[in-house]
Amino acid sequence: MKRNKEDQKRILSNKNIFFLLLAFAIIIIFYFMPTPEGLTFEGKLMLGMLIMAAILWVTEPIPLPATGLLIMIMQPILGILPAKDVFSSFGNQAIFFLIGAFIIAAAIEKHGLHRRIALRFLRFFEKSPRTFTFGIISSCAFLSFVMPEHGVAALFLPIIVSILVAMKIVPRQSNFGKISMLSVAYGCSIGSLGTLIGGARNPLTIGVLSDIGINVSFFDWMIYAIPVVLISLPLIWLVLQFVFPIEIKDISLAKNEIKKQVKLQGKINIKELTVLGILIITVALWIIFSSSIFFGLGVIAILGSILLFVTGCVKWEDIEKRVPWGIILLYGGAITLGEGIISTDAGNWLSNQLFYLVGNNIYLVVLGLIVFTILLTNIMSNIGAVAILLPIGFAIATGIEGISPLLASMLIALSGGLAFMLVIATPGNAITYSSGYFSTKDLLKSGVLANIICIGVMFTVAVVYWVGILNL
Amino acid sequence: MFKNILIPISSEFYSINVLLRGVFLSKKFKSTINLLYIIEEKRFNHTDKLVDTYRTTMEKEETKKEIINTHKQVADTIIFDDAKKIFKEKDVKLEGKIVNGEFSDVIKQELILKNYDLILMGFEKESSLKYRLLEDVDVPVWIVGEGESKKILAVCTNLAPNKKVPIVSMKLAEKLDWDLHMLYVADIEDSVQVDEKGNRSERKTERELLNVGQKFLENFRDKKIKTRLVKGTLEKETIKKAQEINAQLVIVGREQKKKGVLGLPVKNLKKKLAEKCKYSLLFLN
Repeated sequence: MKRNKEDQKRILSNKNIFFLLLAFAIIIIFYFMPTPEGLTFEGKLMLGMLIMAAILWVTEPIPLPATGLLIMIMQPILGILPAKDVFSSFGNQAIFFLIGAFIIAAAIEKHGLHRRIALRFLRFFEKSPRTFTFGIISSCAFLSFVMPEHGVAALFLPIIVSILVAMKIVPRQSNFGKISMLSVAYGCSIGSLGTLIGGARNPLTIGVLSDIGINVSFFDWMIYAIPVVLISLPLIWLVLQFVFPIEIKDISLAKNEIKKQVKLQGKINIKELTVLGILIITVALWIIFSSSIFFGLGVIAILGSILLFVTGCVKWEDIEKRVPWGIILLYGGAITLGEGIISTDAGNWLSNQLFYLVGNNIYLVVLGLIVFTILLTNIMSNIGAVAILLPIGFAIATGIEGISPLLASMLIALSGGLAFMLVIATPGNAITYSSGYFSTKDLLKSGVLANIICIGVMFTVAVVYWVGILNL
Repeated sequence: MFKNILIPISSEFYSINVLLRGVFLSKKFKSTINLLYIIEEKRFNHTDKLVDTYRTTMEKEETKKEIINTHKQVADTIIFDDAKKIFKEKDVKLEGKIVNGEFSDVIKQELILKNYDLILMGFEKESSLKYRLLEDVDVPVWIVGEGESKKILAVCTNLAPNKKVPIVSMKLAEKLDWDLHMLYVADIEDSVQVDEKGNRSERKTERELLNVGQKFLENFRDKKIKTRLVKGTLEKETIKKAQEINAQLVIVGREQKKKGVLGLPVKNLKKKLAEKCKYSLLFLN
């Protein structure tokens, strides 16, 4: 009964109706307005779709994946692209990489392997409260290399709260409590940049890149992204230490609690060992054989998944319970949005307009892309922000000398993961905020500083490493 | 006077000062204390919505359970443990329970189940709590703030019936052996006179409002109560006077203020007072 009332409320929400109408009004306006010079009719409609998607992904009157589906069907309806071309986006191997990665993550979660790894990792950092918080942030980052960041945040929530409660740390009143929880949120976000598994925006980026003939392997991605992680992680940890000076000195209660939790886990069983083995093999295969001249990412991901089924580590019902299919649909919409912008030449037109606005100063453009992406990702879903900005990034790459599509994509994809300021910015922030150990003001205070530092890191890495050394 | 005290603690905010004030009052009034820990439902509903696309129904359920468990752990190991120690030391009877829900709704529900004479609670400006109960409940609400002095500031105004405030403040001052200061604020932003039944009159002139205030305060002058009549806005004058005398407790009645600056409507004045006043507040509805 209560549920029905809630559902009714949701259907009748005036706010949602307003944003839906606004989104559709944009399409109608774009349909009937005169087509600017240099832009095709289809290109004009695609730009309208881009704005419509931005409105729907920021305000969320309908679920994010539903917006993804809407983007897909609107293109054939408006005559922009034939249905066959739109739906063929689901044939992109990055989709199958995502499915495989989710299945592997489901197996890890099912057998509690992630919990075991997390606890083992934390045991290395029991020397002092400061090192312990560094242990949290680095453990979260490390685990986010091999499973989705929000899964890692959900894993660490009970572990860290148990430790804080054992230490009698009162929510919101202790800086140690604040740093511990914020380390989880920020560690997951930073770690998710490192590999293609951490955040769905990473496969989305390589998916869109592959459509324009640029293939990025698992290893390539790591080569580009790991330096950002390695530089940002200690800096963000220092930011937290600076904003919330730790008030406690004794960590012995935390040690005892971790010891207790490790003991509760018992000895590693055969299923966990098998999942661990398959995970190691899959990651090794991704690193060595995921380039286009070998098998590609999707094949290896599915191979790893099949091995999990063959060894009995997962059943199909586990997959039904633990794979968020919504992201796959969201991904489909996002990738067609990029394709539509490129194939209708809306990208070229956009690049000319942006060229007039920002000129051809490569440094200014790089900085602008980083800052704009970080601002956008803080107010909407990461994947939505990246989906909207990728076509704009490509447009910039076509029009401005010195900015390649790969450089623009990496800037957008990695900056898209740096959502530190608001609870709504990323699931990791929301999950850790639910612990009650920090306030929205605390998050904003440390998040603003952390984001400024990360802008500096991203800019330096982009200019010195990506452009200067790797010639991206 | 306060035989049954309800101490609600939200998972959004905890202050040990509320428990210490609870002990103090329970010793003075021989009260029983009921501790209610409220796990804010909106917290996990909000999280649920934010992770909607990224996590499956089962994973969201697991996370929800984890969030509830973490708050239960905090309640059991930190808050109830503190309370047991503090109240046992002073030999005060304590009952406690943990409930999921929305702060104001849970308290209102609890008031139906049991007769309480006082709600004693903390206040956190930065939390997501709406504190609707400040306007909605008939039971006195004591918000624990700062202040070390032994002074009570009773606030009367043209915007309240001024029936309960003098009676309760005099009783309290006597029982606690604290000094009583009576402030009458003629609120010129909303210049109506509220009668004993709570009805608002037509607009009055400043002079008329001040005359009523003057007459009202004359009743207390021979009772060794320090009185003061001011004109201005209720909330500002209350805070100003509380700071001036460094009040331990500020008592405010059932005010009917409807208009604020430039005649704009005023919403939840009590919440605003609680946000701006650092001293303890006792709202008598």
